[in-house]
Parts: sequence; C-alpha cells; structure tokens
Amino acid sequence: MKFCVCIKQVPDVTAPIQIRDGELAMDAGRVVLNAYDASAVEEALVLTEQHGGEVEVILIGPDRATETIRKALAMGAAKGTHLVVAEDAELDSASVSKLLADFFQDAGADVILTGKQAQDTDAGLGGAMLAERLGLPYATNAVGLAQEGETLVVTRQGDTGQEIIALPTPCLVTCSNDMNDPRIPSLKGVMGAKRKPIDSRPVVDIPAARVRTLRYEPLPTREPGRVLEGEPHEQAAEVVHLLETEASVL
Amino acid sequence: MSTILSFIAIQNGKPTRSSFEGLSRARHLAAQHGHTLAAVVLAPDASAFTDEIARYGAQTIYTVSDPIFAQHMNAPVVRALEAVIAQVQPALVVFPSSEGVKDVLGALAVRTHAAVLPDVASFDLADGGVEATRPVMASKFYARVRAEGEPVLVSVRSGSYEATESPADATVEALPFSFDESSLKQTLREVVGAATGGIDLADARVVISAGRGVKDEAGQHLVQELADVLGAAIGASRAVVENGMFPATAQIGQTGKVVSPDLYIGVGISGAIQHVAGMVNSRVIVAINTNPDAPIFEVATYGIVGDLYTVLPLLIEELKKAKAVAA
Repeated sequence: MKFCVCIKQVPDVTAPIQIRDGELAMDAGRVVLNAYDASAVEEALVLTEQHGGEVEVILIGPDRATETIRKALAMGAAKGTHLVVAEDAELDSASVSKLLADFFQDAGADVILTGKQAQDTDAGLGGAMLAERLGLPYATNAVGLAQEGETLVVTRQGDTGQEIIALPTPCLVTCSNDMNDPRIPSLKGVMGAKRKPIDSRPVVDIPAARVRTLRYEPLPTREPGRVLEGEPHEQAAEVVHLLETEASVL
Repeated sequence: MSTILSFIAIQNGKPTRSSFEGLSRARHLAAQHGHTLAAVVLAPDASAFTDEIARYGAQTIYTVSDPIFAQHMNAPVVRALEAVIAQVQPALVVFPSSEGVKDVLGALAVRTHAAVLPDVASFDLADGGVEATRPVMASKFYARVRAEGEPVLVSVRSGSYEATESPADATVEALPFSFDESSLKQTLREVVGAATGGIDLADARVVISAGRGVKDEAGQHLVQELADVLGAAIGASRAVVENGMFPATAQIGQTGKVVSPDLYIGVGISGAIQHVAGMVNSRVIVAINTNPDAPIFEVATYGIVGDLYTVLPLLIEELKKAKAVAA
C-alpha cells in the first residue's frame, strides 16, 4: 500500500522561548520534525517493512522546512513533496487542509497518516478536516496500527477506553506519540536521503485564514507554593491540616 | 438575536461536568449579548438527560436519540451535529474538549463551513467574531486567537469555567435522525479497557497522579489506598503508562487528559512540562517527590520532599484520622 504522511516543521518547544511585544521570540534555527508526525512516519515505515508498500511525505512550509523533509527521508521515506509558502504566510488548519486536499486529489494514497496535532499549536484539527474534504473514513489519536489485507485496524485512545476500529482503505489516521518511538536516522539513512527526490511546488493561492493569532501572552503564574519542613510524620500531619483549613478541599 | 448552542457529551451514561462548564459559560454569554441558549445531546435515549440539562439554563434542548450513539463513532456524530447546526443556525457552538469532541471537530467544521477554536482556556464574543485564549507551545504560553464568521465552533478545556446551575423552563425538541449504517465505512470492533464504575479522571474533584517514583506493586497499592480514602480518580504520567503500570486512560498531560480538580496530589511525579500542561489548572496541588529540584514543586501549593513509600502510609493514616473526626 502507498502511505503518505503529512508532516510539519515546528519550533523545538524545549528550546528557550520568550514573548516580545506579543510575538514569540526564539532561535529560528531550533526547529524539529513535529514529534507526533515522527510517530506517523515511523508507523508507516514499520507497516511497509512488514507488508510491503512505500512511504512518501508531504510538508507545507517555507524553504527552510526542506531539512525536515530530509529528516523523514533519512528515517526511510522514499520521496517528499514540499508545498512552499512564504515564511510569514497566514495559514490556519482549514487552509492547510485545503492545500493538502488539493494535493491528494491528484496524488492519491491508500493511507494518509498525520500526527494527531502539531506540537506548536496543539490544535489537532487538520487530520479530520483533510479526511472530510477527501470524503475518507478516518480515526484520530491512534496509539496502535495494524494492517489486515486492505483494512487498517486502528487502536484509538478514546475517553473511556481504547476503541478498536477497522478502516477500509483509502483512509486517514492521526497518530499519537504513544504509538511508538520513532527511529533515529542512521548515517547511511542521512547520506541516502540527500539523493532522494523532493518535489518542490510553490503555493500560489493560499486560502484565506479565518482564524488568526492576535498575540501571545504569558500564562498566569501560580502563587509560589511552600515546601513543608520536618520529619515525614510531621509533614503528613501538616499537609492534611493545611488541606482542611487553609485550602479547605477535604 | 441568534443562538448559542452547547454540546452536552455523555460518558458512562451521564453528562460530563465539563459539558456543564461549557453550558454555564454559554449561558453567561447569551445573557450578556441577548442571545438565546440551546443545548444538544446525542444518546440512545437523549430525553433521559433533559431535566439535568435544564438545571443549567438551556432554553431549548435538542435531543437526537439513536442506538448508534451508545459508543463513540465519529461519522454519525458529525452527521447528527451537522443537521442540528443546519436547523438551529447558531452563531456559536460550545463543546467540552474531550477525546470524542476532538475526533469530530475538524470534520464538523468543514461540513458546516465553520471557523473553529479548539481546546481554549477562555472565550468571548467580540465585535462580530469570537476571541479566545488557548495554550500553545506545550502549554508554555497562551495564544490570543480570533475566529471570524458564523458559526464558530469552540471546544473548552475542562476546568476553565465553573458549572453553575440556573434552572430554566426548557423546551425539548426531539430531532429526527436516521443514519444509514450501510454508509458507515468504518467498523467499531470493540472498546477495550473501558473503566467501569471508576471515577472519570476529567470529571474528578480529587486526582491522585502517579509518576516514575511509583516503582512496584506496593507503590500501586499505596496510590490506590490514598485514592480510596479521598474518593479520588487515579491519573498517571506518561512514563508509568508506557511501562504498563497504569492504563493509558489514566495519562494526564499534553497528549493525555487535562484535569483541573479541586485537589491534585502528584506522587513521585517530577513535573515534566508535558505533564504539567495537563494539570496546572488544578486548584490545590500537592507534590511528593524525593528530588527537591523537581519542577513539580514550582507549581505545587504544598510540597513534601520525601520518599512516597515513607510519606504515603503516614498521609493515609492522617487522612483517615481527619475523616474520623469529621464524621
């Protein structure tokens, strides 16, 4: 089967980030493959290693995001498509899913995988939007994936348990990072990735975004708490006393 | 005048608290802006919940009853809500941010041509649009976001607003729904590991959360005993879900559940940013950890630097004493 994984380049959220005048200020070089997308790439590779098939990736982003496509190719994907937009392009989940839907109308894939969300916006909308635009059955928040002939069996983490869902192909699945540990590309993989094809296509018409970020704000800070002193039995007695009196939560 | 529609999610046979938090916020906005307030509930017998929903002030309650809603499946939920939205023409639809809602929100937005603001910590009607704050960058910052057009779909993180009653004489309108099951492409084979009778994590008033410090069965028992004394739900960090000590449904954090109980007790949890993202809105946070530099102490109301295997038996004893005095 042909797997196509939608990937995104995101800021490394573990890097130092500040807010300046309502904008995020960070080292522009600290960017990574979205961790959830890395799990999606890994899962596609594992399934094609078991059952045959091929893995491609598609990314929407500025020129510099090519390195994130190379990362996925180094992991083992065969080919990448880069829909190139300007650094400051205004995209929301709806416009991203529209551009991807246009791409898949021509490209086709048996299985489309995405991360369940991007770790910068944590919106988690794009996958279901894309599936709906393409009229595909889909499952979100997958923590396990298996292939049975032309059917994908998804283990989805739901609210009250894990849902075992059978999806006929073509279909779309959004992947949790709880699914697997993405492989670290080998040196051979990294070298080989340089020779793999990346189809770069400039995006001419970006669909208008209806959701905009106005500014970034610091989180409300919690009052600094206190560490209780004394021997363990004194600490236990004091915390229960405080929970009863000061906090009145018991 | 237009309508604010609030979606009431049913879990384990009853409406979730976070649904009523959303409905309460929607009621305040409707009163402030002169809109009408409606609620929608999907269930095998949705009429069973209308009395409870009416207590939170919905003027009209739309019910869609069909056996297919006994278990979550995205396609029928999307179709039903699409039909309700087409009929009600709301300006704003408010959802609790559950896994079930996350599963349908994107598809529903496409089908109803709606703009959507997912997983918000606050939201308001502003100059013909909807503005919201939502945590981004692994919950390091809030983004102030704005959506244009009608309808706007908003899903609200649990604990962002209080659920407050304000009884109204509600009109109940049962909407017809027929879902052609042969059009359903996916099959739900089974739901495994579903908690039965346990306290739902996202709705719990008290949460005990276990981390890497809980190393063995004895530790699991201490966590369970503490939860029993307090009538608490049990949560966990990713580490102890991955090593199989706690079920995946217990995972709290950026990729798990968001909890905001009155009391959160972190047991052997270091407080990685991904975990803190899922619990930082708890009212009172107690942290027990051997490492005085653990980041959890930065958000804890009360911290105990110590070994949970020493501290928990003492804490359980003190709590039992306190309960005995209270009773």
